[in-house]
Amino acid sequence: MPAILEVKGLKTQFLVRGGVVRAVDGIDLRVNRGETVGIVGESGSGKSMTALSILRLVPEPGKIVEGSITFDGRDVLAMNRDELRKFRGNDVSMIFQDPMSSLNPVLKVGYQIEEAMKSHDRFSAEESKSRVPMLLRRVRIPDADRRAKEFPHQFSGGMRQRAMIAMGLSNEPDVLIADEPTTALDVTVQAQILQQLRDLNRELGTAIVLITHNMAVVANICTWVVVMYAGRVVEQGPTAEIFRSPQHPYTWSLLRSIPRIDEKLGGKLLTISGLPPDLTNLPPGCKFHPRCRFTVDRCFTEEPDLFNVGPQHESRCWVQMDNVPDPDSDLREAPVVPLEEDAGALVIAGEESAAAV
Amino acid sequence: MSRGTAIYGARRLLLVLGTAFIVSSVTFLAIHALPGTAFTCEKNPAGCAHQNAVYGLNDPLFIQYRTFLWNLIHGDLGYSYINQGTQVVPLLLREAGASLLLGLFAIVVTIVVGLIIGVTAAVRQNTWLDYALSSFVVFGYSIPSFVLATFIIILTGIALPNWAGSIGWGAPEQIPIPAIALGLPYAAVVARLVRASMLDVIRQDYVRTAWAKGLSSRVIIVRHALRNALIPVITIGGPLVTAIITGSVVIETIFGIPGLGKEFVVSITTRDYGIVVGLYTFYAVLVGLANLGVDLLYPVLDPRIRYA
Ligand SMILES: Nc1ncnc2c1ncn2[C@@H]1O[C@H](COP(=O)(O)OP(=O)(O)OP(=O)(O)O)[C@@H](O)[C@H]1O
Ligand SMILES: [Mg+2]
Repeated sequence: MPAILEVKGLKTQFLVRGGVVRAVDGIDLRVNRGETVGIVGESGSGKSMTALSILRLVPEPGKIVEGSITFDGRDVLAMNRDELRKFRGNDVSMIFQDPMSSLNPVLKVGYQIEEAMKSHDRFSAEESKSRVPMLLRRVRIPDADRRAKEFPHQFSGGMRQRAMIAMGLSNEPDVLIADEPTTALDVTVQAQILQQLRDLNRELGTAIVLITHNMAVVANICTWVVVMYAGRVVEQGPTAEIFRSPQHPYTWSLLRSIPRIDEKLGGKLLTISGLPPDLTNLPPGCKFHPRCRFTVDRCFTEEPDLFNVGPQHESRCWVQMDNVPDPDSDLREAPVVPLEEDAGALVIAGEESAAAV
Repeated sequence: MSRGTAIYGARRLLLVLGTAFIVSSVTFLAIHALPGTAFTCEKNPAGCAHQNAVYGLNDPLFIQYRTFLWNLIHGDLGYSYINQGTQVVPLLLREAGASLLLGLFAIVVTIVVGLIIGVTAAVRQNTWLDYALSSFVVFGYSIPSFVLATFIIILTGIALPNWAGSIGWGAPEQIPIPAIALGLPYAAVVARLVRASMLDVIRQDYVRTAWAKGLSSRVIIVRHALRNALIPVITIGGPLVTAIITGSVVIETIFGIPGLGKEFVVSITTRDYGIVVGLYTFYAVLVGLANLGVDLLYPVLDPRIRYA
């Protein structure tokens, strides 16, 4: 399948007093038409900055310093002001984490949606106006004609996020980036919004990039998962594959840190010890090694590439997690299999297993 | 305008009337409490006694106050003592016309210049343009208005030696220069507030949303940012209008404008009671109306504000 959006080697940095914050540090990302991609990772891992970089909306003093972003064969980083304006909200649109502050408080909701269409030339001025109630109905806002004439403060949080989705999809973009769209909402509303995103993806064929730190959300919606840590991709692959056999210790720990209803009572939840790395002063070697339960010697000195660990499945780790046991058992006994350098092939070297905890 | 706003406005208008009544009474009593009268009796005792009798100044204060109130509710403040034979209300209205015209243009200068400088400096934050405009702003509000006025007169005199616009009153071309001299220092105040408020607003999530939608920078700055940035700024509208109108005392004197300004000093020193009371009451009403106007502007700018 052809990629509609492709990011290669993207680096986004903040020059601050005290050094360079490497918010995004060499990201590769591929989004195919109509696909649902999940980006997961803890707070500060660079998810939002990746998304904002794609629309070239990185806030000052942030800069995209390296890499390429290609949308439908066009170089996004080479676009001039006007091309960029036409690209935003028309080819790729974005919705944000906090629906309470993302809508302009002094403009009517319907007008804000209408304006998104008027600023591009897919729809005429009359069409832009007449489409608003339809768009609101599509995201299940009742009494859409009346609601369109109301201001954001008259909407609940869930409704505002629906209105944001309606706005994001108003120009029928090829890609919708949703940056933690449900984090600020309560659980039932979260589920409805996510359900709606999935339905809209199926109905309209809009590719969705869903940013979240919630693995359960990814499992529900996305067909492809990208796991980020310290501004880089540490693992990616088809959702089912990642959930069945996470290969990176970070992904593995993330999955072990969600309570599961189907698990036997008394099973322990894992927390990931330690703090996220200081992005101005990254550790040598693998960026996750200070918090990793499964380090081998070379983790301290050499950063692994993204190795192929299965069909379409890649992991940035020197060890293979296949045989890691239940977290209930003693982790010291985990048989860890270091990877040999050559071409990412799996070489079993059981006797060398050196699980440092 | 919603029903709530109309009721609120009507109530505030009553309040302005009440304030005007209190201000006029207090001024009346205070000016009468000052020693001395309008007519000195040393040189011409007979004439003086006659004048005092004509204007009722020999009556007990209580009687004078009752007459004053009775006339006040009929919109009459009697005759000026100094401009003999002239009624106070028409005289003040004529002079107020000049002052208001000047004030109006000064407010336009304040708003237009303040907005342009404030918005430009915010949008170009930390560039040489921002630094230049910000320095100009500091200069603008730290320089006294009479110095600025003199400065402007000299500058226009050099630049346009044959132009009559820089001094005097009566012709349309004589309005802009004093209006600029009066409005510019307040434009600096407005510019500083607008810049700070804009800097706050352009970092808001909804402005990022506007960029993400693909709107043009002009639409984002004017429709999305400035409208929100003005909400905290209009708070100073009331004090600003007051300051400009009272500030015109100096400017009117320098430019020789026949406005209310000169009455501030002259009417008190000459004990021209009617003028003093009329003047202060007029300003009280003006300040009340300016503040009411600003408060009625809030719900127009910000739909979250409603008067119930
Ligand atoms: N204005 C800034 N100046 C300096 N560093 C910044 C700035 N904005 C973001 N960063 C850094 O960029 C890094 C990545 O931020 P980003 O917002 O992409 O994280 P995230 O993965 O979206 O996290 P979250 O889940 O909390 O939204 C953060 O560690 C932060 O320190
Ligand atoms: Mg984020």
